[in-house]
Amino acid sequence: MAVCIAVIAKENYPLYIRSVPTQNKLKFHYTVHTSLDVVEEKVSTVGKSLGDQRELYLGLLYPTEDYKVYGYVTNSKVKFVIVVDSSNTSLRDNEIRSMFRKLHNSFTDVMCNPFHNPGDPIQSKAFDGIVSGMMVQTG
Amino acid sequence: MAQCVQFVEEFVQDSFVPMVAVLCSEEAERATRKNNLNFTELLRPFCRLTSEGHIRDPNNQLQVVKNLRICVNNVMTNPNTASAALSPAQRRLLNEVVLSCQPQEGAVTNVITAGDYNLNFNATTPWFKAYRENFLQTMPASDHEFLNHYLACLLVVSSTEAVPVEQFLKLSQEQHRIQHSGEYTNPKWFIPNTLKYYVLLHDMSEGDEQRADVLYEDMKQRYGAQGCYLLKINSRASSTAEDEQIPDPWSQYLHRNNLQNQVILPAVFDNQHFRPKQYFAGHNANGVSNSLESHPLQLDEGSGMGALHTLSAANTDVKKGARDPESTAGGAGSHGVCLTLNDHDHIRQFIQEFTFRGLLPHIEKNIRQLNDQLVSRKGLSRSLFTATKKWFGGGKGPEKSVHEPKSTCGLLYPPEAPELQIRKMADLCFLVQHYELAYSCYHTAKKDFLSDQAMLYAAGALEMAAVSAFLHAGAARSYPAHYMDTAIQTYRDVCKNMVLAERCTLLSAEILKSQGKYSEAATLLIKMTSEDSDLRSALLLEQAAHCFINMRNPMVRKFAFHMILAGHRFSKAGQRRHALRCYCQAMQVYKERGWALAEDHINFTIGRQSFTLRQPENAVLAFKQILTNDSRQMATQQAAFLREYLYVYKVTKVFNHVSSLPMLPLPCIHSSATRVYFGHERRLAEGEKQAATHVSLDQDYDQDLAAMWCHLEEQLVASANRGTVPVNFQQTQCCLNSQTDNLRHPLAVVEEPMIVELTFRNPLKVSLALSNLSLLWRFTPDAASPSKEKMPEEFMGETITNEETLALGVGQQTANLMVVRGKQDLMIQGPRLNQTKEDKMLVRHGPDRRLDPIITPNMPLMEVFFLHFPTALLCGEIRKAYVEFCNVSSVALSGLRVASTHPDFFTFGSQATTPVTPLSPTSAKNCSAYKTLATVNQPGSVAFEVLVSAEDFSQLSTVVEIPIEGNVLEPGESTQLPLWLRGPDQEGVHEINFLFYYESVEKGTKISHRVLRHTVFICASRSLSVQASASRSSVPPHHCQDDKGCSGTLVVIDVENINTSESGVREFHIVQVSSSSQHWQLHKCINPARDKDCKLTSRERAKLCFRAKRCKPHQGSSYRKKHNHHLKSQDPSEDKASDLNNIVKKCNELDLNIIVIWKAFVVEDNKQLILEGQLHVALQTIGKEDFSLVFLLPKCLCGHVLLFQEAQEMVLLKFKSEQPPPVVVPSAELSQLIKTNLHYPETYTHPFVQNSLCLVPVTLTLSNCSPAHVDIIVDLRHKSTSPESLEVHNSFNWVGQTQYKLQLRPEEVLCLTLQACFIQAGVYNLNTPRVFAKPAEQGTMCETSQQTSSPALIIINNA
Repeated sequence: MAVCIAVIAKENYPLYIRSVPTQNKLKFHYTVHTSLDVVEEKVSTVGKSLGDQRELYLGLLYPTEDYKVYGYVTNSKVKFVIVVDSSNTSLRDNEIRSMFRKLHNSFTDVMCNPFHNPGDPIQSKAFDGIVSGMMVQTG
Repeated sequence: MAQCVQFVEEFVQDSFVPMVAVLCSEEAERATRKNNLNFTELLRPFCRLTSEGHIRDPNNQLQVVKNLRICVNNVMTNPNTASAALSPAQRRLLNEVVLSCQPQEGAVTNVITAGDYNLNFNATTPWFKAYRENFLQTMPASDHEFLNHYLACLLVVSSTEAVPVEQFLKLSQEQHRIQHSGEYTNPKWFIPNTLKYYVLLHDMSEGDEQRADVLYEDMKQRYGAQGCYLLKINSRASSTAEDEQIPDPWSQYLHRNNLQNQVILPAVFDNQHFRPKQYFAGHNANGVSNSLESHPLQLDEGSGMGALHTLSAANTDVKKGARDPESTAGGAGSHGVCLTLNDHDHIRQFIQEFTFRGLLPHIEKNIRQLNDQLVSRKGLSRSLFTATKKWFGGGKGPEKSVHEPKSTCGLLYPPEAPELQIRKMADLCFLVQHYELAYSCYHTAKKDFLSDQAMLYAAGALEMAAVSAFLHAGAARSYPAHYMDTAIQTYRDVCKNMVLAERCTLLSAEILKSQGKYSEAATLLIKMTSEDSDLRSALLLEQAAHCFINMRNPMVRKFAFHMILAGHRFSKAGQRRHALRCYCQAMQVYKERGWALAEDHINFTIGRQSFTLRQPENAVLAFKQILTNDSRQMATQQAAFLREYLYVYKVTKVFNHVSSLPMLPLPCIHSSATRVYFGHERRLAEGEKQAATHVSLDQDYDQDLAAMWCHLEEQLVASANRGTVPVNFQQTQCCLNSQTDNLRHPLAVVEEPMIVELTFRNPLKVSLALSNLSLLWRFTPDAASPSKEKMPEEFMGETITNEETLALGVGQQTANLMVVRGKQDLMIQGPRLNQTKEDKMLVRHGPDRRLDPIITPNMPLMEVFFLHFPTALLCGEIRKAYVEFCNVSSVALSGLRVASTHPDFFTFGSQATTPVTPLSPTSAKNCSAYKTLATVNQPGSVAFEVLVSAEDFSQLSTVVEIPIEGNVLEPGESTQLPLWLRGPDQEGVHEINFLFYYESVEKGTKISHRVLRHTVFICASRSLSVQASASRSSVPPHHCQDDKGCSGTLVVIDVENINTSESGVREFHIVQVSSSSQHWQLHKCINPARDKDCKLTSRERAKLCFRAKRCKPHQGSSYRKKHNHHLKSQDPSEDKASDLNNIVKKCNELDLNIIVIWKAFVVEDNKQLILEGQLHVALQTIGKEDFSLVFLLPKCLCGHVLLFQEAQEMVLLKFKSEQPPPVVVPSAELSQLIKTNLHYPETYTHPFVQNSLCLVPVTLTLSNCSPAHVDIIVDLRHKSTSPESLEVHNSFNWVGQTQYKLQLRPEEVLCLTLQACFIQAGVYNLNTPRVFAKPAEQGTMCETSQQTSSPALIIINNA
């Protein structure tokens, strides 16, 4: 499962970053931030060829030594990034895709909350729960 | 990225140049030493050939050699063999090179805008260039390639030598020994028979030139004209050289050279029992200046030890030296002082001659030779070798058996192995820029090596094949990047030779970059980062970062991330300055974009690096950002940051020995929320006395309230200045905050305190202990002002509004407690200007002078206390309180006034006049507010008339002058005045504001006046409701001769107890009803029921009826003087009579104020109290009897007076002004023009038997109430349409003239005699005449029916 899940706003500031507590948070922040370049690159190339019918799931953004970084961009240009341990080979592309879908649904729910101010960091128990379900259980 | 000044081709080409060794005799060395140079250094600036050379390839094709550079080096018999890693010495050298090469302050920076990022970074990376250059030059020669093997050797002998030829021989033998004895593995030689070139060095200043020429001729004979040269140098004496400026081409070469020497020299002298550590130390510190000496060892004694101690500090020295070429040259004396420009030319010519005549032919010859060998072997060996290999299954000939302990990189060939011949040829071709041939050779070699599994060799061939393919301009072949990739991979993974892999990477990355393949270049560079060398990793990561930013779509974040990685590696490699630079550049991307964690990390690192680099200001700045940013770090992390920051701070302070306090970033001061309070510390209460509320810091600023106070103050000032507000009027502001107008300097009075309230915010999760806060201030005496201004006492304000808890440091252990004393500037930025266009375009801020007060001389200061001030009153209740004014300053005050929002709420009883005037109530406590007069009035009889002076009515403004004795309050004096309060007429809580005004006795002070505010809240509860109505008496005028005109008026007062509190008020007594009017007197109570005091218990209601009559107009009258409530005497409408409405109004005008005085019996705490009060009703218009009277409420009217018509109530409540509302229904008004009376006998007996017609005389009296002529039409015909009168009237008729048209003069009374005819007995209503009236001037006949309301009944009896 994921070791870090992040939601990045359209303006590329983090709305939500959560990583497994055992590891260095800073590292994931850097990783996620750096992945935005690849997201941007992918979105710009995909956007041209396919017009409005864009696949939201971007696939593997880039592999690092220890992690694989997957990306997903909503139509409103909110980015989801999931970092997965490289050693976790059992994870299929399809599973990642469904994780993103789940994340997106939950994110939509958060946005539907009339008390949520769009652009503010996400503070939602429901969202937290979904994310926790996708994170590595360290227990 | 490194936009190399050099073109890439040139760079690649210069990476591989023909190497020439130099052997120099002692004498020759001495001759060059005069110029502070050795021979190789002497030649170095001239090693690039400017002219083209030519060479013939094996096919006899002419090949042009352009821009060739040769490398001249001293022969160093370095015992070190080529290794897979750099020696420590080399590493140190590279480190030094990078360290010494720092970006210049004003260096060119690139600005790249990518998306919303604006990045500023170094366009060039000279440190990388320097690193690369040095790296390539110090690459140890390796066995698998020949490019940096020596091709030729220069033998240099001086002409001053006794027998130069012998010397040549000696050097030649030396060279032979080095190359062939097998004693030394280094240097490596390209070809066994190395080209020897004999150079005779002639020192013009010393030797005999002719002898040199002779010797040269001899040499020519001996070595051939192509193999020797006579070089003449030192054409001038060094002493005379000063006046001529000669360019110094050496300076740019020598620094690098020195560093290089440092590394090579220790190797040379290694076996001479030196302590290398000490040596290095000396050289690291003083390398720049010292290593030029012929024997650097001598210097060790002098500077080595000292250098050890200062090693850490020396970095900066080296850097300084490196940056400044002057100091480099100056430290060692300038170079080439004995050389003229001619000499320069000589050297240049010599190199050219050597290259074209000696070196190139030599290479050409060797290429041919090798080519021949290869061709001859090709047919045979190629097939043979491969065949044998196959047949014998890996039995690879003798070489393999020799090198059985084969290295990881496959087998090794002996130096003269035939497999290497082709590589040798390829290298030669490459060196003379015959890239096409070189490529094919490399390509062939690669295949051979690969088939032999000689991986190192194969990788080398691959690398060079790729490079030649790149350099071969105009070839159809594209650059084979995969060759490079394979080569790098092989070098790194198979051969474990990082040095070669690095070289390969550097070349490949440069080539890829030149082709725009930044992404690939970055990948290569990143791949080369590894744990073994931090410096290399750092540099490569930085280059990779530059690659990312230079891509077509710049990858800003990748750039930033790799910059951080590079910075990290730099710091690990000890390159702090570079690390700092990297982090700073990365910071641009992360800054203020919400990536708080990363930002904090970077800031923290920047802070640390800056600190270690002795840039405490920057460190403090960086730490400050961590602390002031709203960081999301955990508390422990924040605490760590804070500790680090405080430590840095302390050290900085100690280090700098600053006397002034440093600036602290924490806690954050919310500067715009600063409030400044001017005013002394007031006593809030003293016994029963309550101080005026005035202004305090507890109050929040309210825009409306401020406007209200300002308005009051304006009125006060106006009244003090005879009705006009001075132009320079300014509101007195006691408490300045962000919303007040802070454009002007506030005025503070000397010896009065000033309180500054600051809002601190602690953005951290760590608690901060603040103690010993004090406000620092600066005072600038005003020279222009002659008045002596003293330093005011300014007390520090310790009002801290906590937004976060500021825990005191009690709970912390003292060991951990770090106390930093510092200050924070208090600067307040004014509001943003938004007036002009420029203001809107730019962000401009206005001044804010809250904190720059002007201190003025002493001013009076007054305090006001209230005694017995109630908080709750019944509506209309009268209560007495006392007010005390104290002058607490040392200056007398005068002009005491007060303005209030509710001027009808209070009045002052004058201390002095109390006993005299019966008008004022007794000052005796708690008895009635009203003084009972001696005359006992018979209730219901005409009463007592009291004149009220006109001025009591004329106080129109809200400003009241306070009658204090002498109008001046001396310093320290206080005076007490009774204050009468009357409960507001409206139920509810009322906020009543008083503004006391006073001024100094002295005139012309800076502060013209001072004010004191007081706000009270009064809770008013219901008491009585009073309705009054006036109607015109229907009594005909002749019945009451004492009345004048039509002035008989009935006043009906309806009083109801509407008090709702069950417990409090028992009952109300109506004590007295008075009128306060200039025109009317209440005359007689005509209440039929009873004529004593009426008592009203809860919900009871009483009706009182009075007759009012007009009194002499100049007299204001009332039964009893009520307290000077401002009853508005209605301005008599004196407008022109032409205005219809006015006439009408005037006729109906009834300017009558009714005052009802009551007593209430209240039980409170089992005690019975008697409260007294009065209610006012102003009647202004007379009403008709049929209840449609217009009933106007003046401003002091009770709000709960019930009105007859709801619609009217709304209107009336809205109009609380003195003017009655505009006439709504003109007919109602006009109907009051004429008063009609019917006079007739009440009963009339008529014998109907005798006369069936009964005629009764009726007199209709018409009186004109208006002051104008009125046309009247009297119509006696029955209104047939009136349904209710049909039945009644059919039996009675008016006879005689049934219509009259008349005109009445003002106030005229006219009687008409009419006759009514009845035909049977009964009761009839005679009131059927319809009277129409209109003012005479009115053109149109808009007649209005006059009142016909009450029935006039007549009884007709049959006799």
